[in-house]
Amino acid sequence: MIVLKIKYHTLILTGILVTLLFLSPLVIPVYWVILLSEILIMGLMAVSFNLLLGYAGLLSFGQGAFFGLGAYTAALMLQAGYENLFLIFLAGILVAMLAALIVGFFSVRLDEIFFAMITLAFGMMFFSIAHNWRDVTGGSDGLPVFNLPNLQLFGLDLTFYSPISMYYLIFTTVLIALFLLWLVVHSPFGLILKATRENKQRVSFVGGNVRKLRIVAFTISGAFTGLAGVLFCLFNNMATPEFMHWSFSTKPIIMAIIGGTGSFFGPLFGAGIFFVLEQIIIRYTENWMFFLGIILVPVVLFFPQGVFGTLQNRFFKQRSK
Amino acid sequence: MSTGDVLQIKNLGHSYGKFKVIEDISLSIGKGEMSALIGPNGAGKTTFYNAISGKFPPTRGKVFLNGNDITGLPSYRVVDKGMCRSFQITNIFNDLSVIENVFSPLIIQQNKHFKLYGNIFNDQQINEKAMQTLEQVGLTDRADQVVANLAYGDKRLVEMAIVLAREPSVVLLDEPTAGMNPEETENMINLIKKLAKNSGTTFFITEHDMKVVFSLAEKIYVLHQGHLLACGNPQEIRANEQVQEAYLGRKVHA
Repeated sequence: MIVLKIKYHTLILTGILVTLLFLSPLVIPVYWVILLSEILIMGLMAVSFNLLLGYAGLLSFGQGAFFGLGAYTAALMLQAGYENLFLIFLAGILVAMLAALIVGFFSVRLDEIFFAMITLAFGMMFFSIAHNWRDVTGGSDGLPVFNLPNLQLFGLDLTFYSPISMYYLIFTTVLIALFLLWLVVHSPFGLILKATRENKQRVSFVGGNVRKLRIVAFTISGAFTGLAGVLFCLFNNMATPEFMHWSFSTKPIIMAIIGGTGSFFGPLFGAGIFFVLEQIIIRYTENWMFFLGIILVPVVLFFPQGVFGTLQNRFFKQRSK
Repeated sequence: MSTGDVLQIKNLGHSYGKFKVIEDISLSIGKGEMSALIGPNGAGKTTFYNAISGKFPPTRGKVFLNGNDITGLPSYRVVDKGMCRSFQITNIFNDLSVIENVFSPLIIQQNKHFKLYGNIFNDQQINEKAMQTLEQVGLTDRADQVVANLAYGDKRLVEMAIVLAREPSVVLLDEPTAGMNPEETENMINLIKKLAKNSGTTFFITEHDMKVVFSLAEKIYVLHQGHLLACGNPQEIRANEQVQEAYLGRKVHA
């Protein structure tokens, strides 16, 4: 009976969502295709971030560093003339992963505000390097990317100069990444990670090495955040130090909280809501951050499970409360 | 009955700064024995438990489990060596279901806690083991309920299931009936008796409630101001004048 608890509505909804995302560039204006690309990239960043907040109970304030490392790795490799996109993806992921392993090693012994502060401190260290090491990073101007290599796949020669083809590159990559993250979240590791969120002492007293579990989670999160950074560099033709600034690290936090940290797809929806609201509000006023604040307050006060989380609980009550 | 000592403690001591909380405690517990550690509040029972279970390393002395030196090992290593404990304040995974609570120790035991794919609900071996463990404590019918929604007594049973899941050779129970009503207490006593009889597991409990101690323990250790004051079977402890003076006299009316 427990085995049958596979949630069919989740499967069906995911199928519909993927189909819509796949078909949408055929019907919506190019401007919105570009926006949708950005939503998917930031959505991947937010879902990776939520592996820490939602599943491990760790609030990282330094995710921008890994995003930036992915972006800079891609930009540097493209400037150096590397043509193999797979290699660029792989390098971006590996660099971010390695950095996350090191940052995680020093950070995960801490909890709550202390964890948030140490990750913020590490993030700002990376920001300073990116901002001040002009010879390599281009300083505050960032690193522009002028040429996007083609991708040879199944005998096809794909280019990514049109927003639509770029969208499909992003769509496919994000889809694969989200699937992998989904596997992780539902794996035995995912369950133990949730257990450390609930009670890390108990995990330790049934034989689990909490520190090691958290380092693995932090490293996975960093790797996927780095992948999002690579994508953003390709999409944006640019890597800038702003990615590593703490204010950029708050974006996945806000997205996860708007969408809901308790569900896997919550942060992705949060990213969607974030950008769509920005687009709508910015038509009327420049002070979009003010209105973001106005929206965030009631969400935190009245929808502690986020917009998506609340809807999900309302319509698909999974567990008796 | 006893075939060698499973838990051996030699000259154990622990200090917070200059204050010696426990001092020079030595004891040996045989396989399958049911022993209890009693003592007035502040006698150092919990410190003693924490020092031997890996919450923190003891300042002095040695702890041996099944002949292995486990002194100062972190808690997760102590569990690997075969000793698992409960806590005075219920220590469980509140937002997970009952069966997920029991999955956790089993996943770790089978070294699957770094496995990044696959659904645990499809793992036949772990599911069977989890259901067996729940059967031992009588929670099979509540397997998929979220633990946060359970009654207090059932939450204590969940913790018991978590502790038993890995079939440790020594189980430490820190006040297993704390906060329970008389009926729940009665059930818990019967459960512990049943488990000890069926599994041959060695239980070492601390308890406030003298009724519980005397109905369960074959051997009782009395801790007083950080020192072992006495040890013996329930009759001997009841008869011991020092113990009465230090502790029982105020608590139990002979």
